[in-house]
Amino acid sequence: MTELFIIIKKELTELLRDKKTIINSIVLPTLLIPVLMFGGIKVSQMIQKSNEEKKVKIGLVNAPDDFKSLVLSDTLNQVTNYDESIDFKTLIDDGTIQSALVFSSDWGVRMDSLESSEVQVYRNGTKDNVNGRVSAMLKEYSAKLKEVRISQLNIPVEKMTPFRETFVEVGEQKELIGKRVGGFIPYIFILTMWGGCLLAAIDLVTGEKERKTIETTLSLPISKFKVLMGKAIVASLLGFIPALLNLMGLILGLQFIDGIPEVITSALGEMLNFQSITMILLLLIPFSLFLAGLIIALVAGATSFKEAQSKASPIIILIIIPLVMALMPGIEFTWATVFIPVLNIGLGVKEIMAGTINMGMYAAMLLSLITFAIAAIYFSYKKFSDENAILK
Amino acid sequence: MIQINNLTKSFTSKTGKGFKKETITVNAVNKVSFECKPGRIFSLLGPNGAGKTTTLRMIAGIINPTSGSAIVDGVDISQGNDEVKKRIGFLTGSTGLYERLNPDETLDFFGKLYKLPEKELKERKEYLFEKLGINEFRKKRMGQMSTGMKQKVSIARTLIHDPEVLIFDEPTSGLDVITADSIIDLIRESKADNKTVIFSSHIMSEVDLLCDDLAIISKGSIIYNDSFENFKKEMKADNLTQEFINRVKEA
Repeated sequence: MTELFIIIKKELTELLRDKKTIINSIVLPTLLIPVLMFGGIKVSQMIQKSNEEKKVKIGLVNAPDDFKSLVLSDTLNQVTNYDESIDFKTLIDDGTIQSALVFSSDWGVRMDSLESSEVQVYRNGTKDNVNGRVSAMLKEYSAKLKEVRISQLNIPVEKMTPFRETFVEVGEQKELIGKRVGGFIPYIFILTMWGGCLLAAIDLVTGEKERKTIETTLSLPISKFKVLMGKAIVASLLGFIPALLNLMGLILGLQFIDGIPEVITSALGEMLNFQSITMILLLLIPFSLFLAGLIIALVAGATSFKEAQSKASPIIILIIIPLVMALMPGIEFTWATVFIPVLNIGLGVKEIMAGTINMGMYAAMLLSLITFAIAAIYFSYKKFSDENAILK
Repeated sequence: MIQINNLTKSFTSKTGKGFKKETITVNAVNKVSFECKPGRIFSLLGPNGAGKTTTLRMIAGIINPTSGSAIVDGVDISQGNDEVKKRIGFLTGSTGLYERLNPDETLDFFGKLYKLPEKELKERKEYLFEKLGINEFRKKRMGQMSTGMKQKVSIARTLIHDPEVLIFDEPTSGLDVITADSIIDLIRESKADNKTVIFSSHIMSEVDLLCDDLAIISKGSIIYNDSFENFKKEMKADNLTQEFINRVKEA
């Protein structure tokens, strides 16, 4: 055991003296979520503000006066009146106007006789801000006209409103947000965990070959298994630490970044309690060992950093696909999915965050991850003991 | 003492395209036998690819032999190569140093794994640092050192546990004459301390200076094995280098 600790200490010292490792495994994971949160909020606030302040250039044909005054009540609207319908497509394309509303020529007559009429809306479907604002104006105008007609017909408002919807939320806010947001959290920390494990495993195995120290290490009076275990534990630590820092970054981000809706802050704050964090971290320990073992096995025969990266990188697909599946509706945390690595973490974390995890299934998932970790370590030991591969 | 008997190492590789695969087995070392005695320096010479490194790696317990036996300081390598490794100091061109550690940390790491008591480790480290002139750069990281500095640290880490058996494969390669001389001195000192030393070099003047017994390996087999005195007596060429070349060509 002492020998294993000596190996771990040496490998950790070496890795943590590498700037690349410090940046990828410590600095980036800690800052990633707060920067994403802060940046996301700031960018969306800026976009919203700039959209609200943007002028909308509208062309009108046959517009009734009450509609014109409704449009002009918003000082940001710039109106051009046309006598007849012309080539609005060209005008929209060249930016003269952004949308055109063509009211039917018999609009006044049809309205007076309480008939239905038509408004042609010329628009570019990709301009969400313009289209949203024009649609809102039309909706408001339509509501006004309806109100006038109802009063003209002397119909009580209640008779025109057959029912009203009221929602009684039976799910807890925590459950709702947990299932929606909880799916994205494993996405972030599993990917940073992968990155950390990959860099560390390549440095510890292929890096040793490149630096010509693998033979020195193998000449030490300790078994290859202990050498391999030392490397696997350090690689998994360098995967686990970024994931832990990710979670800490998330908690700190929620505490100190302004502009996050109160409902999300309080629900996430409630979700990320000691119990849920412990349960998530417990899952990540065997999972990081599994990743480390798998990567070491894959890169054991590589002779250069580049070769090792090309051998291990395709595995990322086997991580992303289950993570995407975990976000899909209809895929639930069941006894069938509990044994599928990555997918089980994706789904399990959602349940943990929502507070609806079945403890029996959680234990089964943890056991399955430990089994996968043992299998990956055994596989990597076999590869690490292959003289042809390791001394290549 | 090292006793090698019929030591053989085969490597298997697969070649071919598509579904047609062929397995090729090559004997890198073929039934090699020799003996290295304590208090004597044994030189193992051979051209590149002759099987020298593979033989030394088997003796050092880094790779396992396919057949044959090797007894190092009374321990059979097949009985557990960790015990063998404790008795050996192994230095070859492929045993580099950990670039992000300094000499102090490197020797502590090796000393602890060789299970040296703390006091003994400290004393031994100070002795080697003094002897090899490492003190002035003992806190400098390996990656920032010159080849000569690194080689001195390599020698120190090879000797830290005061092993009974020493294997030096081209220990003076790439070094200036002053550093090389201090290393030659250390090898002589090991011999005087009754250690078993295997020394391999392409520099024939060093072989001439140090060697007591000699084996020449070519294409995986031993083609000469006797005392260096006898080798010199039997020499037909004018110098050692030419004699070595002739022997390898004849084989």
